[in-house]
Amino acid sequence: MRFNEKELASLSRQPSEMAAELGMRGPKKGDVVKRRLVKLVVNFLFYFRTDEEEPIGALLLEQCRVEREDSRSFSIAFLDEAERKYLFECDSGEQCGEWVDSIIKASYEFMRKNLIFYRTEIHRLTGKDPLEQYGISDETRFQVNNGLQLVSRDTSSL
Amino acid sequence: MKLNERSVAHYATCDSPPDKTGFLLKKGERNTAYHRRWFVLKGNMLFYFEERDGREPIGVIVLEGCTVELCESAEEFAFAVKFDCAKARVYKMSAESQAAMESWVKALSRASFDYMRLVVKELERQLEEIHEAGVGVGGPQGRPKTARPNQVARSRSGVSSSSLPWRESLQEDVQLTSDSSKENGDAWSRPPPVALANGFVEGASCAAWEGCVDSARAPPVPPRRRGASLESPVSPGTDCFSKLHDWYGREVEELRTQWLHSQ
Repeated sequence: MRFNEKELASLSRQPSEMAAELGMRGPKKGDVVKRRLVKLVVNFLFYFRTDEEEPIGALLLEQCRVEREDSRSFSIAFLDEAERKYLFECDSGEQCGEWVDSIIKASYEFMRKNLIFYRTEIHRLTGKDPLEQYGISDETRFQVNNGLQLVSRDTSSL
Repeated sequence: MKLNERSVAHYATCDSPPDKTGFLLKKGERNTAYHRRWFVLKGNMLFYFEERDGREPIGVIVLEGCTVELCESAEEFAFAVKFDCAKARVYKMSAESQAAMESWVKALSRASFDYMRLVVKELERQLEEIHEAGVGVGGPQGRPKTARPNQVARSRSGVSSSSLPWRESLQEDVQLTSDSSKENGDAWSRPPPVALANGFVEGASCAAWEGCVDSARAPPVPPRRRGASLESPVSPGTDCFSKLHDWYGREVEELRTQWLHSQ
């Protein structure tokens, strides 16, 4: 699958709130823990050799599961291959907790849910749709029922 | 650079709803002819397939940091996706109509994670302001005294409560005060249960404005305010019925709009 690698590499150079040297182990059998600079930018997790400027790789953090493995390490697994886990070893339990928290919140889908929640709440409290003033209330990505599914409903009790 | 390509391709085809789909002509990378491709926009990722029912995307354009412009081209209804980095590619595309072009340009310009983050932060700020203002106005409840049709919308969920697991939290009898608005803020930043799938996997049946939330994955719903009566949709009384009637009217209208939108 082709992807715009140059632009992704450029993205990896953007400022990030979460960047640290961690132990990282890939998901394949035989992979060992290696020291990597791990950097979270939008919904991507980049990892670099500690002295290099170009990332070795990137993980898109959509449809993934983040789990605490023990007091200092966490894992990321993708829902289509749940047994293959990327393992990350932190320097402290606190750091580990921060990473888990940040990665959970680093998905577009997570943000979309937040937005829908806030939009619904504000509408409930004020009767107004907060997105109308920005002219984006019709955009598919902000819909309560995002996009193109028709929700079926049990109406037998009516 | 490596990418978790298999999982990225899975994201393209999994049942999380796309933000936009459609055919576009795309100018080739090596072969500069335009090729017709099926495009699927999800979040900040623009996938393209050889055919509409393709099982795997041929490619993906990560849209973060891009700008979208109309452009000069032999093709009609052309636009370009551009990036601000050195030697960046320009992705030239063309749509099948003026309306389609405008719709794609709009959708792609708002596709970035950063943009979504801004909107979320803005709404978060607005909600905080409402909570803070509400404390003085409605007494300890912190809510306006006029009953709203939305209250019925909440209770309507009783009909299919099995598919709305978060409804239990509506029964909680907690007063909303300025302190608990902080609590809401904290609840917001408190991380959900640790082993969390951040993918939106299940489709939950839900009504417009109630949001599709699954308590294991969604942000915590703030507790219901004390004093708000939970009206049952099937309780007798004309007062209840007229509200219900209005609400059904709106719900049907919204469903209809969504269905038309999906055609």
